[in-house]
Amino acid sequence: MMQFTDWDILRNLLLAARWTILLSLMAFLGGGVFGLALTLLRSMRNTVITRLIQGYVEVFQGIPLLMQLFLTFFGLSLIGLEVDAWSAAVISLTLFSSAFFHDIWRGCIEALPKGQWEACRTLGLSYLQTMRYVIVPQAMRMSIAPTVGFSVQIVKGTALASVIGFVELTKAGTMINNAVFQPFKVFAFVALLYFLICFPLSLLARYLEKKNHAAR
Amino acid sequence: MPLVSLDKVHKYYGDNHVLKGIDLKVEAGEVVSIIGRSGSGKSTLLRCMNGLEQYQKGGVVVDNQSVEDDEYKLRLLSRSVGMVFQSFNLFPHMTVGQNVMLATKLVLKKSAIESQKLTEELLEKVGLSDKFSAYPGNLSGGQQQRVAIARSLAMSPKVLLCDEITSALDPELVGEVLKVLEQLKVEGMTLILVTHEMNFARDVGDRVVFMNQGKVWETGASDEIFANPQTEELKSFLAAVR
Repeated sequence: MMQFTDWDILRNLLLAARWTILLSLMAFLGGGVFGLALTLLRSMRNTVITRLIQGYVEVFQGIPLLMQLFLTFFGLSLIGLEVDAWSAAVISLTLFSSAFFHDIWRGCIEALPKGQWEACRTLGLSYLQTMRYVIVPQAMRMSIAPTVGFSVQIVKGTALASVIGFVELTKAGTMINNAVFQPFKVFAFVALLYFLICFPLSLLARYLEKKNHAAR
Repeated sequence: MPLVSLDKVHKYYGDNHVLKGIDLKVEAGEVVSIIGRSGSGKSTLLRCMNGLEQYQKGGVVVDNQSVEDDEYKLRLLSRSVGMVFQSFNLFPHMTVGQNVMLATKLVLKKSAIESQKLTEELLEKVGLSDKFSAYPGNLSGGQQQRVAIARSLAMSPKVLLCDEITSALDPELVGEVLKVLEQLKVEGMTLILVTHEMNFARDVGDRVVFMNQGKVWETGASDEIFANPQTEELKSFLAAVR
């Protein structure tokens, strides 16, 4: 029987952690782009659009990510779209994070004083000019810290992709444990790796928050 | 033809009838002070003159343009009507110079050099020529408000609406802002101000409009109004603020 050294365990986990990082990045980028589109659409203050987006956000914030993964993975195959575990994970994490990103950014825009909009209006700026030169730069500065903060949630959320069979850090840990039967050691390594990914992000978020407060 | 003309303007917030048929004409070069208790509709009236508030009945014409709920028309109107706010509403992420130049570049399509030159002139006029590169957060309230005035003037408006522009200032900073307004009057600018500065309204203003319960309750030449108020409401108001 083959023997696993600690280094073998860690090495395999590290290889799997690449997928955790890649999946997180995809979700961050996809969710970011999609969330930004939702935010811009919503800032146009069309009642119908706003209602639709509100509904979207409620749905994706009100259902556990695990169920969203199941529904994407099994639901898409029901309508004849064969998706692999990777695609299903990317799609559901993107939708999930877009709802949260949108909510964060909408909050930042709404936190700006109404007077900023009024000043732009009285100066004759168009809606797009107002967004581009006045609203977005200020809202962005405010949103950096909570956005980075939420990316930690995304990283941890990728662990759920293991249940639909996508081999990332958690799934790799389960598989290795099935071979070595040392659950505490294996999952301690897994936990350590998650922490090593998330902790710098938390630090970054905290640093950005402080820096932002000092700037005002 | 008056520069600003309101004709039987009615405004409701839901069931709340805030403006009850306002008639008001302001000629070019006039300085008109709108006074009254809080809740009397002064600010709402002012904000109807540049489309920040919609009215439900009547008509508002400023510089021969009808003020309507139409994005494009309101943008055109913004070249004739400037506004200064109680809370300054400067853009905190831009320098003083950038604040003043933003709309001259984007809306008036002036070149960078032209905008810069105009901005320097205007900042000198409000006594802040050394603050071009400062950020609003590092200025006093009085200085910020003077930047806001310069920002409005950069659009060369025909009338400047001032919405309680000294109310958020520490008392010792009020004078420097009022001085700028005085200078503007000398230069012939039309000013319509909602104000609590009764001395300013009396000494600098040409005409006073006293608002009460959503109506123009009493109006007349400044010295007349203060020396000789006709209605009980104005008498008790003046007694209260003095």
